[in-house]
Amino acid sequence: MPDSERERRLEELHSAALQRDASERDEFLRQACGDDAELRRAVESLLGYEQELDGFLEVPALQTATLDAMAQERPLVGQMLGLYRLVEPIGSGGMGEVWLAEQKQPVRRRVAIKLIKAGMDTREVVARFESERRAVALMEHPNIAKVFEAGATPQGRPYFVMEYVAGIPIKEYCDQHRMALRERLELFVHVCEGVQHAHQKAIIHRDLKPTNILVEEVDGKPVPRIIDFGLAKATAQPLTAETLFTRAGAIVGTPAYMSPEQAGSTGADIDTRTDVYSLGVVLYELLAGALPLDFHQLAFDEILRRVREEEAPRPSTKLRTLGERSGTVAQNRGCDPPTLARQLRGDLDAIALKALEKERSRRYATPMELAADIGRYLRHEPVMAHPASGAYRARKYIRRHRMGVAVAAGLVAVLVSFGAAQTLQLRRTLIERDRANRERDRATRVAAFMTGMFNVSDPSAARGNSITAREILDKASKEIDAGLSEDPELQAQMMQTMGDVYESLGLYSQAQTLLTRAVDIRRRVLGPRNPDTLTSMSGLGQVLQVQDHYADAEKLDRETLGAQRRVLGPEHPDTLKSMHNLGIILEIEGRWPESESLDREALDIALRVLGPEHPGTLRSLENLGIVVNCEGRYDEAQKLLREALDIALRVLGPEHPDTLRVMLELVHALDDEGRHAEAEKLDREALDIALRVLGPEHPETLRSVTVLARILNEEGRCAEAEKLDGETLDIQRSVLGPEHRGTLESMRNLANDFAGEGRYAEAEKLQRETMNIDRRVLGPEHPLTALSTYNIGCILAGKGNRDDAFPLLREAVDHGLSPGYDLAIEKDPNLQSLHGDPRFAALVAYTKERAAAALKPK
Amino acid sequence: MGEPGHGEITELLLAWSGGEASALDKLVPLVYAELRRLAHRYMWHERADHTLQTSELINEAYLRLVDASRVNWQDRAHFLAVSAQAMRRVLVEYARSRGSQRRGAGMQRLPLSAAVNVHARQSPDLVKLDEALTALAGEHPRRAQAIELRFFGGLSVEETAAVLLVSEDTVWRDWRLARIWLLRSMSRSRSSERGAHAG
Repeated sequence: MPDSERERRLEELHSAALQRDASERDEFLRQACGDDAELRRAVESLLGYEQELDGFLEVPALQTATLDAMAQERPLVGQMLGLYRLVEPIGSGGMGEVWLAEQKQPVRRRVAIKLIKAGMDTREVVARFESERRAVALMEHPNIAKVFEAGATPQGRPYFVMEYVAGIPIKEYCDQHRMALRERLELFVHVCEGVQHAHQKAIIHRDLKPTNILVEEVDGKPVPRIIDFGLAKATAQPLTAETLFTRAGAIVGTPAYMSPEQAGSTGADIDTRTDVYSLGVVLYELLAGALPLDFHQLAFDEILRRVREEEAPRPSTKLRTLGERSGTVAQNRGCDPPTLARQLRGDLDAIALKALEKERSRRYATPMELAADIGRYLRHEPVMAHPASGAYRARKYIRRHRMGVAVAAGLVAVLVSFGAAQTLQLRRTLIERDRANRERDRATRVAAFMTGMFNVSDPSAARGNSITAREILDKASKEIDAGLSEDPELQAQMMQTMGDVYESLGLYSQAQTLLTRAVDIRRRVLGPRNPDTLTSMSGLGQVLQVQDHYADAEKLDRETLGAQRRVLGPEHPDTLKSMHNLGIILEIEGRWPESESLDREALDIALRVLGPEHPGTLRSLENLGIVVNCEGRYDEAQKLLREALDIALRVLGPEHPDTLRVMLELVHALDDEGRHAEAEKLDREALDIALRVLGPEHPETLRSVTVLARILNEEGRCAEAEKLDGETLDIQRSVLGPEHRGTLESMRNLANDFAGEGRYAEAEKLQRETMNIDRRVLGPEHPLTALSTYNIGCILAGKGNRDDAFPLLREAVDHGLSPGYDLAIEKDPNLQSLHGDPRFAALVAYTKERAAAALKPK
Repeated sequence: MGEPGHGEITELLLAWSGGEASALDKLVPLVYAELRRLAHRYMWHERADHTLQTSELINEAYLRLVDASRVNWQDRAHFLAVSAQAMRRVLVEYARSRGSQRRGAGMQRLPLSAAVNVHARQSPDLVKLDEALTALAGEHPRRAQAIELRFFGGLSVEETAAVLLVSEDTVWRDWRLARIWLLRSMSRSRSSERGAHAG
C-alpha cells in the first residue's frame, strides 16, 4: 500500500537525518525529498520532537511511582534525625535513600541525608566511617561535597549527613546541555582536581561513577561536585555474589566502574590509581556515550574476569559500534557521528585508554596527571598518553651497586630489586595491529592465557609458587619453538612475554635467553628500526644490566638508543628512557663523567619536552643526583635529590612508591657523605610512610628497613641492625619464599650484622647457607654467589683465619664479583686484618686488573 | 488463592514458549497477581528498608515463580514480556485508584540530588498514557510493546531486543517513533480537554 510505503520512507528519512549534523540536514533533505514538499514537512515535523522527547518515558514508571509514594505516605517525613528534620525524599540508589533535610541549630542550612538500608551492621558501618571522618572533614575543595557526620536512626539504620548538592549527575547534565567535547573535558578536569585533593588527604573514593558526580550551577556556570567520599570504605562489603547481585539476580553493584584490581582480589589492594581507573570510565562515557565494557546478562565470575582482562575498544571505535545510537550520542555533543569520531581519534582515544589500563603502573599515576594530559590536549600540545611502542616499563626497582667514594663495608653493597617491574603487559600493539580478526583474537587469547596462568604481577604473589610457575614456564618455553614456528611475530611476542615472566621471578638467565631470541626474531622479521624490536632490545638491556653483564648491556643500550634517536626522535619518551638506562649502566661501571653528561642531556630534554613536573623529569634528576654523588660532589647531589623529592611530593604526593624511592636515594646520598644521623632520620620518615601506606610487607617498605639497617650497621650499631634485618628476613621468608633474591639479600645483611657483633660462627653459618642457595639457584658465576663467597672470606678474615680467607676471596673475584670491587676490597674494614700480608696486595692488584679488563666492551 | 508453586508457572511458561497460546491466558493472571502483591508491598512500605528498581521486582517475581533450571533465556524473555504487561496493569491501576492527575507541579518542585536515577521531568499521567498506548498497539503493535517493555517493565534496550527478537537498532528506532506518536496523541487529547473546558 502506498500509505505504509510512504510511512516507511518517512521514518527512514527521519532516522537518516538524525545521524547528520544540523548543518548538513538541510542539504540532505533537499536531495532526498526533491520536489515532495509534503514529505519534507513531515520529516521536519518528526525531527521537531527531539527536544520534547528528552526524558519522556526514559525512567521506568515504577521508580517515579515509588518516589511519589515515598513522599506522600512515608512516615519519615517531618521526623527529626539528630539536629536535622527530614523534609522530603530526593532520590534512591542501590545502598539506600537520600532525603533533603533542614537544620536550624547551630546553623540554618539544608543538608542531604543518606539513609543506608538496614541489613548492614550499623555499628561497624559507623565505626568505619569514623575512622575516615577526620580526614574527610579536612577536605575543603569546591568540587567535593562535604560529609559532615554519620549516625544511626532509632530503628538502627546508619545514615550520613552530607552537603546538599542541587545538581544532576554529570552524564545527564552534559547530555541535556548538549555539551561539546571541549566543554565536557573542561568540566572533567575539575572533577580530577577534586579527586586529587582527596588523595592528598589520603582518602580514596573507591566508588567513583557518574551518579556520584553531580553538576550544580553556580552563577550560571556548571560546577561538578563529587559526593560520597569516605562512604565506600565505611559501607564496603566483601565482593561476593551476594553483594554484587541482589537475591533476585539483577546487578545492583557498579561493576562498570570497578577497577581491575578491585575485581581481582579481596579488594584490599586499593590505591589512588583505583580512582584513576574509575575516572577513566567516566571520561570514556562522557566522550563516547557508552561504557567501555559490556556486562549485561553475565555471570558474576565472568563479569570480574572481563573487568580484569578484556581490553576496552577505543572510544572512536566504540562509537562506530553503537549504530543507531551514535546519532543520539553525537547530538548530545552538538555534532554528528563522523565529526565526533574524528574528534575522538588520536589523542582523546589515547588518554581515555591510558586511564583504563589494566595494570596500575601503566595508568596515569594520579588524577592530576590525567588532568594535565587533558589540559595539553585542550591547548593543542602533544599528549603523553600514546601507547608505548618502546620500552615502557615501570622500573621502580632498579638494581644498583652502591659505589660512593666512601664505600661502606662492601658486604652489603648491593641493593637488590625485590620485585621487578610489572611484567605481564598484555601488549596493546598486538591488538592494534592491522590483522584479520581471527589472528588478532588468537594472539590475544594466547597472551591472555599466559597472563591468567601466572598472574604474577605482584612479587608477593609469587610466594611459594615460583617453582610451580617455573615448571610451567620451562615446559612452555620448550613448546614455543615447536608450536609457533610458522608465526614468527607471534613467537617473538610469546618469547617476550615469557621472558618478562622469568624476569619477574628473578630467573634472569632464562629471561635473557628468551628475550635474546625475541630480539633476534624481531630484528629479522620486523626490522631493526621497528618500535617492537626496540622495545625488546630495551628490555633485554635491562635484564643484562640486572645480571651485571654491563659491557653487553651497554653495547646493546647504545645500539637501542642510536636507533631510537633516529626512528623515534631524540625527544621521544622511549629515547629518554634509554638514555636513563644507559646512564645507569655507565654509573655502575664507574664511568661517572660519561654518565653525568648523558644524564644532564636527558634532564635537559625532559625539562623541555615533559615539563618540570613529570615523572620522567623526576627520574632524570634522580639519576643525575646519584652519579654526582658517586663523584663525591655531595652538596650538588643532595641539592638535586632534594629537588627531585620536592617534585615527587608535589606531583605524586608523599605516599607514592616513587616518592619513597627518591627519598631512599637521598638517604643513600646523605649516608655516603657520612651524615648518618640525617640519613637515619629521613629513612625513618620514609619507613613510617611506607608502613602506613604500603604495609609492612611491601617491597619498598622492606627496602627502607634494609637501608636503615645498613646505616645502623655502618654506625656500628650492629645489634639494632640485626634486629631489623632479622624481622625483614622473617617477612621475606614467608612472603617471598626462602630462595627469593630479596630473602637472600637479607640473609647476607644479617650475616654482616652478626659479623659486626663479633658473632662469627653464626655469621659464617648463615653466609654459607646463602652461598649454597646462590650457587644452586643463580649459578657459580653469578655476582651474588660471588658476593656470598666474598662475605665468607671477610668473616674468615675477621676470625683471623687468613689461609682460608684468601682462596675464597680470590674465588669470588674470579667468579663474577662485580667490577668496582677493587675499591671495595682495599677499603673494606672487614679485611683490615689482612693488610700488610703480601697476599693482600697481590689480591688487590689482581682485582684491579680484572676490573679494568671487564670494562672493555667485548 | 494459594500461592502458585514453582511447578505450575514453570509448566505454563514452557508450554507457552512451546507454542501453546492458551497457556498465556493462564499465565498472565498468575504473574500479575504476584507482581501486584510485590509492588504493593514495596509501595505501601511493608518493607520500609528496601529501595526499588523495576528490574529487581520483576527478577524477584521470576525467581519466586519460575524454576529457573528448567527454563532457557528465551523463556525468560517471554516471562519478562508478561511481567512488563502485568506491571503496566499494576501501575495504571494504582494511578487510577489514586485519582491521579498530571504530577506536574509536585514533581517539578523536587530538587535533584545525590544518587538519583530520576530526571527532573514530569512523569506522564499513567492513565492517559495507558489509553494512548492501547491505541498505538492497534497501529504499530511492536512499537507499543517496546514502550511496555521499557517503560513499564524497566527492561534495557538489549533485553527488549531479546524479547522482541529484533536488533537493538530497531528497538531504538521503534522506541523513538513510539514516543513521538505518544507525545502527539497525548497532546491532542490535552487540547481537546481544554477545548471541552472552554466550551
